[in-house]
Order: sequence, then structure tokens, then C-alpha cells
Amino acid sequence: MNVRVKSVILGVLLCLALGATIVAAVTTFKAIQQFRQERALTASGDVSTIRPWMTVPFIAHVYHVPENYLYQSLRISNPQPVRHATLRVLADRSNRPVNDVIHDLQKAILIYRKQHSWSGPPMHTGQLNGAPRAPGRENS
Amino acid sequence: MSVFLPALLNWLLAYGYPVIWLTIYVASAGFPIPSALVLLAAGAFAQAGDFNIFLLAPLAITASVSGDSTGYYIGRRWGSKVIDWLETSRWNRFISASAIERGRVRFKRQAGWAVFLTRFLFPALGGIVNLLAGADPFPYRYFLPCDIFGEILSAVIPLSLGYAFGASWEAVGDVLGSFSVFALALLVASILASYLLRTARRLKLEEARRVKGPGAIQTRSSGATITDSSRRTSGNLPLS
Repeated sequence: MNVRVKSVILGVLLCLALGATIVAAVTTFKAIQQFRQERALTASGDVSTIRPWMTVPFIAHVYHVPENYLYQSLRISNPQPVRHATLRVLADRSNRPVNDVIHDLQKAILIYRKQHSWSGPPMHTGQLNGAPRAPGRENS
Repeated sequence: MSVFLPALLNWLLAYGYPVIWLTIYVASAGFPIPSALVLLAAGAFAQAGDFNIFLLAPLAITASVSGDSTGYYIGRRWGSKVIDWLETSRWNRFISASAIERGRVRFKRQAGWAVFLTRFLFPALGGIVNLLAGADPFPYRYFLPCDIFGEILSAVIPLSLGYAFGASWEAVGDVLGSFSVFALALLVASILASYLLRTARRLKLEEARRVKGPGAIQTRSSGATITDSSRRTSGNLPLS
């Protein structure tokens, strides 16, 4: 291939690669900001960070609420067989949308905190089941 | 979140360690499964007490090394035949035999680094590098240590981040994923820049040779200061 043509092709490819690098750098920066935001929300005990992949024991651990209380709020009398089930699986089993299950748990946690004078970091309740989150995470 | 991930997480929680091992193994063998996200999630669940983090780390390392070795074996068994076919086939009009040979030589020189870095920094290329290392062939006794060191990092980094940040592991996964793409784009850009510099230098030399003509070499060797061809130009050509 002619050296001049080769250098032109290389130049175009380099421009594309530099463009991709800049886009990736911006995406990384945004992801870091998103992570910091989410981390702050989780650390402050915001219930809007509950996700469909979480299990009831996981939520109990993160939000400092007794497991049995959460199972009761979901009307599960025998928790042992569903201990390792995610909220999505629990929702499928009870033929309910997963967002309803999350909403019930959020309400239960907030009620529990009211009843037991929440002593954690300043509580940000956000919107029940609808706080700001990354695009595309709604159904994850 | 990946399409597979919700299902993978359900299995991971339902069946525990065997599913983690199998997932990491299949991902390392070359299937497009987000193993780093699985490890981040496993680390987060370990923080909540569902898994033992000290058991997860060796499990993940053995699974990924086994998967990589499978990929290497597949490359060794069939990859070399494919490359030989590419070199000799008259159907292949896109890559010349000399280009394939140059690629082989270059890969052989950098294979250790390629294996090591694709384990944790560019995991998307890990499967292809395993196949190439087997096809080339890059000796297994060199492949294995590079692979193990890389896989230790690729297991320990997401597991410890998942363990440290718990419920925010998805956001950590986004950061790791976008950083990996950034690093890859930067690497490609720097390789292209070095090629471009080399090509520009060649172009400059070629142009100088063309403008000076064969007489220039003769005159310079005989000690004269100027040539017929350079007198015709503006006179700013590098004569020294």
C-alpha cells in the first residue's frame, strides 16, 4: 500500500481512537460520580437503593432491620426455604411485580425506623421505590 | 446490568460455590459472561455473611486458570490449523501471509504481557488471547505463571471491592467496566500514534529521496554541497 494512503488511514483511525478515549474517559468520570452518589445514599440508609437482586437477609444486614420483621412485612410465614431467594424470585413466586415487593420493604423499613428511633446516619428516604438511579437500572 | 446477570445471581444464591466456579470457568474459557460482576456480587454477599471471602478467592482463581487453560488447549488443538489455513488459503484476500507472520512474531514477543494484562485490565480480550497463545504456540510453562498472576489480580480486585462496597457493587462494576474501555482505547490510540509516527518518518524519507534523486547520493558521497535536483527546489531539504 502507498505510504501516503497508509498514513491517511492511520490518521483517521488515530482520530477515531482518540475520540473513543475521550468518550471512555468521560464515561468513567460519570461512573465514578454515580458510584459516589450511590455510596452516599447507601451509607445514609436511603431505602431507594433497594434492588431486585437483593435478598431479605442482605437488606436486613444493610439497613439494620431484623430479618423476621421484613419477612412478616412480605407475609412470608416460613422464611427458611426462601432465605437465598432474591426479591425478583420472591415477586415471581407471589405473582407480583418486583417493584411492589420493593415498595412493601421500603415502607416496612421506614415504619421500623420510626418505631425504633433510627440512630444511624441522617436518614434520606428519597422517594419510595423511585429515587434517582442510573438509567437502565430500573429493571435490574 | 447484563441480560444474564439476574439469572446468574439467582443461581449463585440458590446453589452457592459450585455455580460460582462454573460461571467463572465458562467465562474464562471464552464465553461472554460478566465474571467480574459475578465476583463483585459474590463479594457483596460475602459481606452480608452468605459466602466466605477466603474461600471465594481461591475458588475464583482455580476456576479462571482452568478456563484459561481450556481456551489455550482449544487454541493449540484447532487454532494453529486455522492460522495455517489463513496463510495458505486462496480464499483469504483480506490478510496477507506476510501480515499474519508479522503478527505472529509480534505476538510471540509480547505474549507474556498480553496474557497478564488481559486477565484483569482488558478482560474482554482474554478469551481471544488464550486461543492465540495456544495457536502460536506460546509455551504453556510461560503461559501458566503469567495467567496465574493475572488471575490473582482479576479475582482479588472485584472480590475485595464487592466486599468493601457491598450494596453499591453495581456502581463499582460500572466504574471498572468503563475504566477498562478507557484503558483499551488509550492503548489502541498510543499504538496507532506510534505507527503513524513511523509511517510519517518513512514518508518524509521517501519524499526526500524522490526530490533529491539518485544524483544526490552520488554528490553527497563525493563531498559536494549541493545537487542538481535540490537546486531546483526551494533549498530547504535536509542535506546533512
